[in-house]
Amino acid sequence: MLELLATAEPGGTSLAQALLQQVANGIAKGSVYALIAVGYTMVYGVLQLINFAHGEVYMLGAYFSYYPAKWMGYTTDPEDPTFVPAKVPLYVVGFLFVCSMACCAFLGMLIERFAYRPLRNSSRLAALITAIGVSLLLQNGGIMLFKADPRGFPTLIEQSSVDLGLVALTNTKIIIVVVAAVMMTGLHLFVQKTRPGAAMRACSFDMRTARLMGVNVDGTIGLTFAIGSIMAAVAGVLVAMDQPTIDPLMGLMAGLKAFVAAVLGGIGSIPGAALGGLLLGVTESVVGTFSTTYAEAVAFVLLILVLLVKPSGLLGKSGREKV
Amino acid sequence: MRKALILAIALSVLFFTAIGCKDKGNEAGGSGATEDTVKLGLYVSTTGKIATFGTDTKNGVDLAVEEINKAGGIKGKTIDLRFYDAASKAEEAGNVATKLATQDKVLVAMGEVASGLSLAAAPVFEQNGIPMVSPSSTNPTVTQQGKNIFRICFLDDFQGSACAVFAYKELGKRKAAIIRNQDDPYSTGLADYFRLKFKALGGEIVADESYKEGTKEFASQITNVKAKTPDIIFLPCYYNDVALLSQQIRGQGIGDDVPMLGGDGWESANLIPNSKGALEGSYFGNHYSPEDPSEHVQAFVKGYKAKYNTAPSSLAALGYDVVYVVKKAIEEAGEFDRAKVRDALAALKDFKGVTGTFSIDEHRDARKPISILKIQGDKFLPVKQIQPQDVK
Repeated sequence: MLELLATAEPGGTSLAQALLQQVANGIAKGSVYALIAVGYTMVYGVLQLINFAHGEVYMLGAYFSYYPAKWMGYTTDPEDPTFVPAKVPLYVVGFLFVCSMACCAFLGMLIERFAYRPLRNSSRLAALITAIGVSLLLQNGGIMLFKADPRGFPTLIEQSSVDLGLVALTNTKIIIVVVAAVMMTGLHLFVQKTRPGAAMRACSFDMRTARLMGVNVDGTIGLTFAIGSIMAAVAGVLVAMDQPTIDPLMGLMAGLKAFVAAVLGGIGSIPGAALGGLLLGVTESVVGTFSTTYAEAVAFVLLILVLLVKPSGLLGKSGREKV
Repeated sequence: MRKALILAIALSVLFFTAIGCKDKGNEAGGSGATEDTVKLGLYVSTTGKIATFGTDTKNGVDLAVEEINKAGGIKGKTIDLRFYDAASKAEEAGNVATKLATQDKVLVAMGEVASGLSLAAAPVFEQNGIPMVSPSSTNPTVTQQGKNIFRICFLDDFQGSACAVFAYKELGKRKAAIIRNQDDPYSTGLADYFRLKFKALGGEIVADESYKEGTKEFASQITNVKAKTPDIIFLPCYYNDVALLSQQIRGQGIGDDVPMLGGDGWESANLIPNSKGALEGSYFGNHYSPEDPSEHVQAFVKGYKAKYNTAPSSLAALGYDVVYVVKKAIEEAGEFDRAKVRDALAALKDFKGVTGTFSIDEHRDARKPISILKIQGDKFLPVKQIQPQDVK
């Protein structure tokens, strides 16, 4: 730390500036964690199931926009070496997002229908193991179908550095933060203000009573998976846009981090997922100012400390165990 | 009745195959040579995780064998290449080495690319007294397995040091930043040797950042690097990481006046398309360059393109060279005898290959130059050769 202060020189940046910049980096990183974390948190809220396959939905979100882009001719790995990749027009970018969201929503519902619904009344452990199984199936299926080699993602938006006064971020990172903020706010309003949202909250509160009150429980659970998967799909395309190579195992670490973010924020709580994601991202980045080698380790130690003080997570409700 | 017939056929097939095998084994003898052929072994991985490396190497070897046989073979004997797939697995490398040594009884064995696989096979050849030449295993311990084990590529310590020499002396850089993959011995090895040499020359390492295997977002590391205003960034990583790192480095506003530099892990047809122009004007050290104007290299590139319809990678070039090294050693030994060929390999001087002119040193490693290539458009242009004596 002292060394860092000492070597800050003209043209370089001071420690305070560096920290601020790392906070900004962390917010961008955390926004992605948050987008994926809502999927974990929503499913847990309704089913008390940790859907470990969610990280793979995120991975497939990236592939579900890679292939349509490739079929339309926007690709970076053509057979012909003289090929110049075309610039992707904005309406195509929009189409790719929608395409990936639709495919993932369908996939999420498919996973729920065939992997989790048959086990809904068996032990939680059985469902959990099934979730791990689905995750492995999608990972290895991905390796088989897409090949293990990472693929270059087409340039959806030309990257450039944007000066925001005290900090500078690339335009793609700013897009990530803005899109994530809009999606998260939209989701919160949906759950709090609409009828399907109310049904979701009712199912999460007490599924049997909700059914007695005339709530379509199966439909609502399907919807929960669809919405979670849509958020993961958006995260997948955003990340592929910012870090343009994709591979079948990219969901592994991202999913794990997002799961931790969800637990940190209080699993079951949507604002908690947002807060947990941002906190994890910012902690990692800020610790990275001093040592990138130990950034993740230190971040996770901090998380353990938080959970020791508040075991249900920052915004989690304690003692809401169902009987 | 029918069962008996099938059984009889099956048995007779088995019997004749067995006889066939036995015959082959007998004619081999200890020298690996018959009246008009000489048996050379090749084991690389054409399936599994590192299949692309093995396939490129095998393509280079096949091309060289074809050329030599067309030109009359080695001392009048045609090369009989015995190839086995090591399947990217250490235990399989050990198995196929045993096959080459005890069944095929080859004169000389060539392989593997990955150091881990070479290490598994080397003891087998050492015990059987068969010289083994690895085209491209860079780990120092490979040739320490015994006096029969050789290699014709440079080592990671030389590569890292040579990059430092190039940055300091040729580019005049004084403040280097490093971003390394902390989970990969190749990356940390290169980074450590670069760091040591660059400091010894009088340069300063202003930042040394790490990332974990599988990281795709390097904002923290790059922010730290940018804060220290380096004049060169050393990226001792594989091409997939380099493609992402370079884009994010330029994306965070570190300008073109700060070039990036790396090792042979950068070489891939995917590097330029996946980095989207971010590496323009950057440099990396490699075994050779297909753009090298020398006649020897161009003849090889032309022959390779004609046969495989693609430009040869470094691994293909090393595979091509390894066959000619073996040929030269046999010719200098004067006879098809393993011990004599081993001695000739150990004494090999000034071999002119497509991957440079080199000699085998007392550690049975190649003393050879590294080519520094500059990325320009979609080409890797050779700008400088760093010789072993420049680094010492």
